[in-house]
Order: sequence, then C-alpha cells, then structure tokens
Amino acid sequence: MKVKILNSEFNEDQIDALREFMNVSIGAATANLANLLDAFGTMHIPEIEICNSNELADKIESTIDLESMYYATKQLFTGKFGGECMFVISEDSARNLGRHLYNITVPSGDEINDAVIELTNILTSTIVSRLTQELSTQVQFFVPSLQFIDANSIIHDEDVAEYSKIIIISTILDFQDQQINGNIYILTKDEAIESLKVLIDKKIEEIYGLLKLNIPTCYWTHLKMVT
Amino acid sequence: MKILVVDDSKIARMGVIKSLKDVQPKAELFQATNGHEAVEIFKKERPDVVFLDLTMPVMDGYEALKKIIEIDKEAQIIIVSADIQSEAKHRVLVAGAKNMYPKPINGEIMMRIFEQDLLL
Repeated sequence: MKVKILNSEFNEDQIDALREFMNVSIGAATANLANLLDAFGTMHIPEIEICNSNELADKIESTIDLESMYYATKQLFTGKFGGECMFVISEDSARNLGRHLYNITVPSGDEINDAVIELTNILTSTIVSRLTQELSTQVQFFVPSLQFIDANSIIHDEDVAEYSKIIIISTILDFQDQQINGNIYILTKDEAIESLKVLIDKKIEEIYGLLKLNIPTCYWTHLKMVT
Repeated sequence: MKILVVDDSKIARMGVIKSLKDVQPKAELFQATNGHEAVEIFKKERPDVVFLDLTMPVMDGYEALKKIIEIDKEAQIIIVSADIQSEAKHRVLVAGAKNMYPKPINGEIMMRIFEQDLLL
C-alpha cells in the first residue's frame, strides 16, 4: 500500500477505511464500465495521499507520460463530502475507446469526445455515489467539463490556489485487452476533510465498536472470537 | 472451527469478522493481509473456511486461490471482493472457489454462505 501522509489529519485506521471504501467504489465503477465495453477490467489498489495543494500538479504529472496529449474531465460535487473527480485518459486510449464503443476503425473527434464523456459520466457518478453511500451521506453533482490538453496543463495553480491541503485518492482504469487505460483522481479540499473524518470515524465505530477487539496491525495474527 | 480471513484492509477484515459473530461465535479466527500470508497460514493451520479478497498486494487473491486449491482441492474458499464483474466471478468459480460475494458482506449473507455454499 502506498500511503504518503504529510500531516496528521488522518490516522492509520482512517486511511485504511477510506482506501477500502474507495476500493468498493472502484469495483462498482469497473463493473459498470465492463458492461459498457463488454470487456474485463483489472482492478488496482487505490492510493491515498494527502498533500499540499502546490504538490498536486507534480503528483499527477508523476503518474502520466509528459510527452502525450490527454483528455481530462473534471466534475465537481458538493455535500458533506465535497470535492472534484478528475479522470485523465491519454489520446491513444481515448481513440481506442472510441473505436471499441462505436465499432469503427477511425472515430472522429466528436465521437472520441462523446465516448470519453460517456465513460466519465459512468465512472465518476458510480465512484462518488458508491463512496458516499459507504459513508452514509449524499452529494450533488455539477456538469463535467472536458479538455484536450498536454500533461503540463492538466492542473493550473489557480485551480487549487484557495486550498492548503488536498486528499488525492487515485487509481488506474485498466482494460488491457482493449488498450484503454486512465487515471482517476478524487480531490477533496480543506472544508471536506473534517466532515470526511467524522463520516469515516462513524463507519469505523460501527464495525470495530461491536467487536470490542484491539487487532494488532502487525504481520498476521489469530484470535478467538469474543462473544 | 478455524476460519481464515484474508484482506489487505483491516476494516474489510473486521467487517467479515463482525458478520461471523452471530453465525460462528466460537470460531478460531486467523487473519492474513495478502495472498502469500494466506497460503502460509493455510499450510500451517488448515482452516475449515477461507474468506479471500482478490485485489491485494504481494500476491493477489486469484493466485492465492490457485495455490490453496493445489494444496487442498476440497478447500472451502469464499471470495469477498469489490470486483463485481461477472467475468471475475466466473474465473474464481472455475478455479475452485465455492462462491463469490461483493463487499461488504453482512450477517444475513454470512448465514446464507454457511447454509448454502459451504460443505462442512
């Protein structure tokens, strides 16, 4: 598990819970996309990272090819857990997506745009809805935006200038046989952190509280069930 | 009864353990955080039931399932995964799992698992 904690906002249990909720959400989204693409998607373990806002661009650039062009969609959502879901897919993957969805050899620019937006709508709505369902809350979605841009332009300073800390939840969309890969980032900002912690703590209490067990986080252990 | 719960997430393991509380209150529980640990514990403890996640570091659930079935082709393995694709379910059933359930599972589902899926 790759967890980079730059501050003490979240403890180990909270990070573990957030990653697991995200894992369930990604699983639901992957299944929906598998139906859309009539294909099998390989799931990857989500990464949780808390960083300073001025580090966001570096983080995203470290996960993509700086020489390629990308389709980047961004969708804001608000509520107790508010933030922004961003999906980044390379030009090649987007073209393969268009080919696969429309069953044609050379999709037009409009067809690629439509395919990326369709995929993004399913991806972001499923992930965020499932995540908020796990956290027993609701959010309101705003209309997504689509840009065709180079790697260095995905994040502008002004996008994050008003925030000090950002939680990045990232994973990979991997339909290898169709050569469709993308990176998903959920960015939650300052005002969402406290409410997110409260929601996570509530879920942890629901599960851990009834067990009244103190489970070591070391290599492995065994225990007798407490009744 | 010995039960092995395998998941890299602590809260996911606790979720399974919580759902076992009413169904198997006296079970001796073992935990593993990846497929490699699961195989080692299986060799040593020979649990009666294994609850196995698929997406894990070091060794994923598909590989662990294969190795455990190689050790004991009658192993009673239930997959509990966020991967809810029909193809994933098909793969694990072919590989020898008794059934597969989407996360998170609750006490009602656990009851059904012990009544319908497992040969104990």
